[in-house]
Amino acid sequence: MKLGKFLTAPEYRLMVVTYRDIFQSAALENSRFGEEYRKLSAVIRMDSKDIKKMGVTEGGTLVVKNSCGKVVVRVEKSAYDVPHQGVAYMPSSPWSNALVSADTGGTGVPKYKIIEVMVSDARGESITIIGV
Amino acid sequence: MANAMEIYQFLPKTNCKKCGKSTCMAFAVALLSREVTVEYCTPLKETKFKKNYEKLLEIVAPVEGSTETGLIVHEEKCFGCGNCVVACPVNVANDPQGVGIGRAPTNDKVILQVENGIVRASNIQECRRFGKNRILCNLCIITCPTEAIEFV
Amino acid sequence: MVSCLNKNYYVCTGCALLCDDIEVEVSGDQITTIKTACRKGFSRIRGCIEPMPCIVNGKNVDINTAIKDAAKILKNADKPLIFGLGNSTSEAQKQAIKLAKRIDAFIDDTSSFCQGPTLEAILHGKIRTCTLDDVRNRADVIVYWGADPSNSHPRHLSRYSYFPRGEERQRGWEEDRTAIVIDVRKSHTAKICGDKFFQIPLHTDAFFIDALIDALSGKVPNMLFDYDIKNLLKLANILKKAQFGIIFEGFGIYNIEYMETMARLMGKLNEVSNFHLIPMVEHYNMRGFNQNLFEETGFLNRVKFKKCEKGFDVKYGVDYSIMEVLNTKKIDAALIIGSDPMSYLPRSAAEYLLEIPLVSVGPCENFTSRVAKVTIPSALSGVECGGSAVRMDGVKVRFEPIIKRARLSDEEILKRIIEAI
Ligand code: SF4
Repeated sequence: MKLGKFLTAPEYRLMVVTYRDIFQSAALENSRFGEEYRKLSAVIRMDSKDIKKMGVTEGGTLVVKNSCGKVVVRVEKSAYDVPHQGVAYMPSSPWSNALVSADTGGTGVPKYKIIEVMVSDARGESITIIGV
Repeated sequence: MANAMEIYQFLPKTNCKKCGKSTCMAFAVALLSREVTVEYCTPLKETKFKKNYEKLLEIVAPVEGSTETGLIVHEEKCFGCGNCVVACPVNVANDPQGVGIGRAPTNDKVILQVENGIVRASNIQECRRFGKNRILCNLCIITCPTEAIEFV
Repeated sequence: MVSCLNKNYYVCTGCALLCDDIEVEVSGDQITTIKTACRKGFSRIRGCIEPMPCIVNGKNVDINTAIKDAAKILKNADKPLIFGLGNSTSEAQKQAIKLAKRIDAFIDDTSSFCQGPTLEAILHGKIRTCTLDDVRNRADVIVYWGADPSNSHPRHLSRYSYFPRGEERQRGWEEDRTAIVIDVRKSHTAKICGDKFFQIPLHTDAFFIDALIDALSGKVPNMLFDYDIKNLLKLANILKKAQFGIIFEGFGIYNIEYMETMARLMGKLNEVSNFHLIPMVEHYNMRGFNQNLFEETGFLNRVKFKKCEKGFDVKYGVDYSIMEVLNTKKIDAALIIGSDPMSYLPRSAAEYLLEIPLVSVGPCENFTSRVAKVTIPSALSGVECGGSAVRMDGVKVRFEPIIKRARLSDEEILKRIIEAI
């Protein structure tokens, strides 16, 4: 756990695992630019202990960033019954891809599945709009 | 939905057999499986049973939004994956060459099928939770990824 | 359209399962009811609310102008890229390959950053595979590895892999089949598999496989990571006893080193029992693209053509992959067909696409088309146009359109671009 460089909200290190969600896929077929797709994509699902530790509110927004990019997404409690502190989940989407490194280490395959990020309270900043 | 014992509490408990069943308890069971209706028990129409009669009507009324077996599909949770369609033993028996092997139904005798991306129930009287020899079958529930099917 | 018992069935192009038992009711040119397709397929068949416009430089134009301008961009480019095609018919893919040869283009698809290595091993006969029909008829041990078909291929379990009865699996899933999930998270599919869910810690796939190989060989596994050895032995035991085993390899895991480890596991499994592997291909005809390009060049993606005396020369390798051509800014124009790299690629790599002229062909507007110089609307395949495609297991599926609308197919558009060059 590191404190932010600037006078902003404290930052926490998390590993983000990306996944597919059928409702998000269905929304994508309907409209990539719609509210529904954005709502189902721009979200990070965390362990409730992590949410509490960070002192953020469920349904509020978080800044998720690393050296590749930064997005603001909504935070939600994950539905998993087993604790997974330090690991969070995001549906694969342009929002998660903004955080994926273009460096493929000579393989041509970006590491989409597991992404290391820093998160902090976005303090009301609204969700990043992508592709309008 | 109540159980047979609760229903029995509101019956005349005289075993008069006017309903065609040998005991009031047997009538309670039949009522539960919708084999008979409250009306079959004529003594209930007597004024002293008026309260019981009304209470019984209330107990056996189907839950709103549910089918007669109490099956509810939470449409907003359903993936339309068809697991329940193919796992349902009645579906398999009624359409072995269609849903039995994972394909679209080939007749309309199936209980569950997917329409517009969401599971839909029909022919509900065929459900194993219904009728005289009913059992507490739960195969459509345990094969659902999201608890979209519920019995109430 | 397949006729069976007097019913007309259509094919869903929502994913690479290509379910061929979809019934529809149509009124005029509207599809009113869609039966048997899952939520994802239903949404696909119903179509999008933001159709691709026909645009050149931000202005609405007729299709002839758009095609002419697209041809001009590609012809004037020194190093054009053709990308996408996972959502196009095989017929369109063949035209795209023809076009690539004509204009000395790079050509690549999404397999470049997902299941390319697995499909390559399969096409070279290095990994044993089978069809989904074999799985339905015979499989008794089914492993979803890093895959969550409930979300990605919703009818996978009900149509082929777990719930249906099959020739040698008459008693149904409860008695005849064992379904297993190996994943880093408890997915919806894992939930259905109950105590046959094996959760492995992040980044330990390779260690896990090595330990599993040890267990299958009867050696004491070398547990280089935090995992309960009892669980591992339980898994090894189930796998060993399989009569017909199948691994469905998902999206969670893939790179070259990983493929070698997986190939070793498959080798071991086939020493001690009987195992097959099918990659969980996502786009309905990605495998078709890989096979079509393979037939033409011997490579399934990451190719660059160059005309020469004997016809054309083919270069292949990571340097020709979409990621590397973007990272090294090797291309100067791109034709994107039925795909949305601005959305699928790491943002920082995709941004180079903003610097070069883009032509985007497809049925719906997407993040890439919004920054393209030329956009050309095409028919939604499986709904507005027919053709053929290759299912995730390599089976070829033909399909007819459900309704006729005026839009040209990708194939027709590509033919006309070739003519105009
Ligand atoms: S599983 Fe795939 S092919 Fe089948 S109906 Fe769903 S989206 Fe369509």
